[in-house]
Amino acid sequence: MPDDRRSLTLRLSFMQYLVAVAFAALAIGFWIFQIAQHEKFREMAEENHLRRLPLPAPRGVLLDRDGKVLVDNQSSFNIALVREQTRNLDQTLHILAVATNTDEAQLRETVNRRRREPSYRPIVLIENATPEQYIAMMARRWELPGIIPQQVPARKYPGSEMAAHLFGYVGEVREDQLQHADYSGIEAGAVVGQAGIELAYNQLLMGTDGNKTVIVNSVGREIGLPLGEEPPREGKRLQLTIDADVQKAAEDAFDASGFNGAAVVLDPNNGEVLAFTSRPAYDPNSFSGGIDRATWNALNADELKPLQNRAIQGRYSPGSTFKMAVALAGLEEGVITPKFQVYCGGGATFYGRHFACWKKPGHGTLDLRHAIEQSCDVYFYTVGNMLGVDRINKWATLLGLGVKSNIDLPNEVTGLVPSTAWKQERMHEKWYAGETISVAIGQGAVAVTPVSMAVYMATLANGGTRITPHLVKAIDDGTGLKPVPPPPIQSKIDVSPEKLQAIRDGLWMVVNAGGTGGRARIVGHDVAGKTGTAQVISNTGRLAAARSRKDLRDNGWFVFFAPRDNPQIAGVVFLEHGIHGPNAASLAHHILDTFFAKQDGKPLPAAPTHDDMRLDYKDPYARAGTPVGGGH
Amino acid sequence: MFERRLYFHIDWLLLAAVLLIAGFGLSMIYSTTYVTLPDGTGHPGARFWVQLYAVGLGAVALIIFLALDYRFLAEHSLFLYGGLVVLLIYVLVGGGVRAGGSTRWISLGAFNLQPSEFGRIALALILAMYFGENRRGARNYGDLIIAGLFFLVPFFLIAKQPDLGTAVTLVPVCFGIAFLAGLRLRLIAIVAIAAVLLAPVAWKVALKDYQKSRINTFLDPEKDARGAGYQQIQARITVGSGGWKGKGFMKGTQGQYKFLPVADNDFIFSVLAEEQGFIGVLVALGLYLFVILRSLEAARLAKDRIGAYLVGGIISGFAFQVIYNVTMSAGLAPVKGLTLPLMSYGGSSMIATLAAFGLVLNVRMRRFTN
Repeated sequence: MPDDRRSLTLRLSFMQYLVAVAFAALAIGFWIFQIAQHEKFREMAEENHLRRLPLPAPRGVLLDRDGKVLVDNQSSFNIALVREQTRNLDQTLHILAVATNTDEAQLRETVNRRRREPSYRPIVLIENATPEQYIAMMARRWELPGIIPQQVPARKYPGSEMAAHLFGYVGEVREDQLQHADYSGIEAGAVVGQAGIELAYNQLLMGTDGNKTVIVNSVGREIGLPLGEEPPREGKRLQLTIDADVQKAAEDAFDASGFNGAAVVLDPNNGEVLAFTSRPAYDPNSFSGGIDRATWNALNADELKPLQNRAIQGRYSPGSTFKMAVALAGLEEGVITPKFQVYCGGGATFYGRHFACWKKPGHGTLDLRHAIEQSCDVYFYTVGNMLGVDRINKWATLLGLGVKSNIDLPNEVTGLVPSTAWKQERMHEKWYAGETISVAIGQGAVAVTPVSMAVYMATLANGGTRITPHLVKAIDDGTGLKPVPPPPIQSKIDVSPEKLQAIRDGLWMVVNAGGTGGRARIVGHDVAGKTGTAQVISNTGRLAAARSRKDLRDNGWFVFFAPRDNPQIAGVVFLEHGIHGPNAASLAHHILDTFFAKQDGKPLPAAPTHDDMRLDYKDPYARAGTPVGGGH
Repeated sequence: MFERRLYFHIDWLLLAAVLLIAGFGLSMIYSTTYVTLPDGTGHPGARFWVQLYAVGLGAVALIIFLALDYRFLAEHSLFLYGGLVVLLIYVLVGGGVRAGGSTRWISLGAFNLQPSEFGRIALALILAMYFGENRRGARNYGDLIIAGLFFLVPFFLIAKQPDLGTAVTLVPVCFGIAFLAGLRLRLIAIVAIAAVLLAPVAWKVALKDYQKSRINTFLDPEKDARGAGYQQIQARITVGSGGWKGKGFMKGTQGQYKFLPVADNDFIFSVLAEEQGFIGVLVALGLYLFVILRSLEAARLAKDRIGAYLVGGIISGFAFQVIYNVTMSAGLAPVKGLTLPLMSYGGSSMIATLAAFGLVLNVRMRRFTN
């Protein structure tokens, strides 16, 4: 079979060629991967086994003006998930949830929210794990591939609710924040300030995360020693203008009173904030390790709105505390002099309508000093009517009312002092002169934030300079605390000292003579102040709403500075539903007492009890009262 | 039976190349299974020793299949074939050892034997005998049907284990022998066209879900990067990161840190590419190519058609397996449980392969005898 033989040889040759071609193709294939695309695959192999683990930087410590530590860091453990190392995600989450007694659905939601991120990046599932959770996780670690413990610094705040709104709180960076330029360079999962100083000074406080490079195998176990390590750099320490003792006094006073509200205390000469509180508050510590959903929901659902920073976000009618702005406007516009006298017979008629004074029998004839002391409504109706709303607006604004204080805290709201232009713009209506009468005693559309009231008092105290309240005194960039110059002033008015003195005298008389602020008196320190009681609802409206469960009691104010002739402290205490301004003066007393005791080197007064406050709970408007009329 | 002069006709070059490849394989298994203890010391993994014993047993098998005249073996191929079928049935009816979802092994106490690995030898012997003796070659449809039946019995028994990968290696053995025996080119063309047309039907009817997903994954590995596509992507990274010279013996990261699964088995060539680089790949491919071409040369030199067909069948199966596995090692073919003969970890495969090369040497050595 020669033919057969030839065919066989041919076919064997064919097979040999076929195999040779296949091998040549294989060699080319390997050449492409190993030589042509080597760099790409080399990097991929490195990404596989070299892992840069973040070393979170501690946030900067917050100190008070004396150097006392207010906000610190403590070590805590997070439990995190590296998805690329998991085999069965559902099972892993289930085992972890059972072992650590956490909500499986919430874990899953956390993972889902971050599913678009690279799968090697750890997702924090349980922040600030308890020792029990940590032990339970470690004990079942072999069942939990991809679950890793992370040691992280967590924020530690002083007392349960002390200065909560001032400090704010920290939390994981939100997705919408990541889009923002301020957050460039910050990765998902990073902990950033979310309110208060933590938010306002986040850039300084955050520090720079370090990292270490380790070799890991396919299940994420670290092999050998780290290849390299870049230590984290702690955030900058901030020295605040806050005086921890004065701050504590404000907190203690609120605690003793049982009222909600806000207090802001400033150095009127430069705007340094000495104390700042808003009630009700929350415990910022509950955020520092990631707040649990129940607590967060409760805070949001609370009708009293504990998350609201009333000091900069609450707008309230100022009532009688507004009268100094009208007085200054009258004096500076030349409409009145300190000697200008008005007769109060318990009320007066303007534009065909009767406006009552809070004191039904009337005050008789009063000059400006006594009008302020007695808080006579008729006097200020008269001056306000002579001025007109726009001139009141001008001077109130120069004193800091109806505008932002520009304090270095986020989300401050603007108050309102009405004007003809405002009404035209907002309501497309003409201003009626009769409306000015209510404005003159701080009612009507007037609405102010507590912080702006503090600026108002500081401006009256320092002779017309509208300082900018601020919270940071010095920054430590690693080489020691460097003082920060105070922010530029907002405006300055030239007030003749004699005219201003008349107002200051009136305020001094409120506290030290026959006025309503006697409870704030401190012997030897010439406290000047003014109470205010502002309706939450008109008296007729209140009758109608009597059956509702809403708290409709009046708000109480006390604004102050001291000493009268060389002021070193100015501020405001606002009591939400505090019924009477004098109740606020009781709180201010403790604050002032503490401030001056410290200044004089005396022992600080003990925290007041509820009885020390001598609060007046009599509600004068609980029944139908006079239809209109400012508080005292 | 073994005449002294035959000794001088042994193809030492081929034998050396085969053993060199096996040595390469041993060193890669040593590298991938080396156990490092926490104190920094270590020792070779158990699999290295198993493979070393397998090479030893394989050498014995090689000598046996070299010493016995291949014609004698071919003449008794029906017994060998029958014995194999019995073993395969025994595995299926419950005598086998289960592992990893399939039943492929028979326990022999010290180790488990995988009879299916010997299927190619038995099939090659019986088909070489059938086509070599009938003097008609493979031109007759009746003969092809009988040959087909010889093929189908072990094919189904092995596929049923299930071990489609090993079963499929019977196809090139059968096809290679039929091709050398003069299978009409027209018929090849018809089968090829029919295969293309029937592929969608096979997809629907014959393939199991995991097999479909393997193919789907191959076509788009990124789609399932965490699951089935993982191996393929990791295989490319392993190979590509090797570069020219490789990362060095036992210094690969992909294999050492277990990013690439079954590194000592299906993906051993990837690890070789990673640690020894493109140069190592060229050396290994060169050795394999040399072994295949040299063996086909032995078929050409064979004194009779039985010998030529026998070598052709064995080498067809061998070449197919090498080419497929190496392609898969670079992530260029669907991942399949198909080992790289002579290199992958696997005792039965090593013994069977060395025995098969015993037959190749046998045919060449006896080219002058009558």
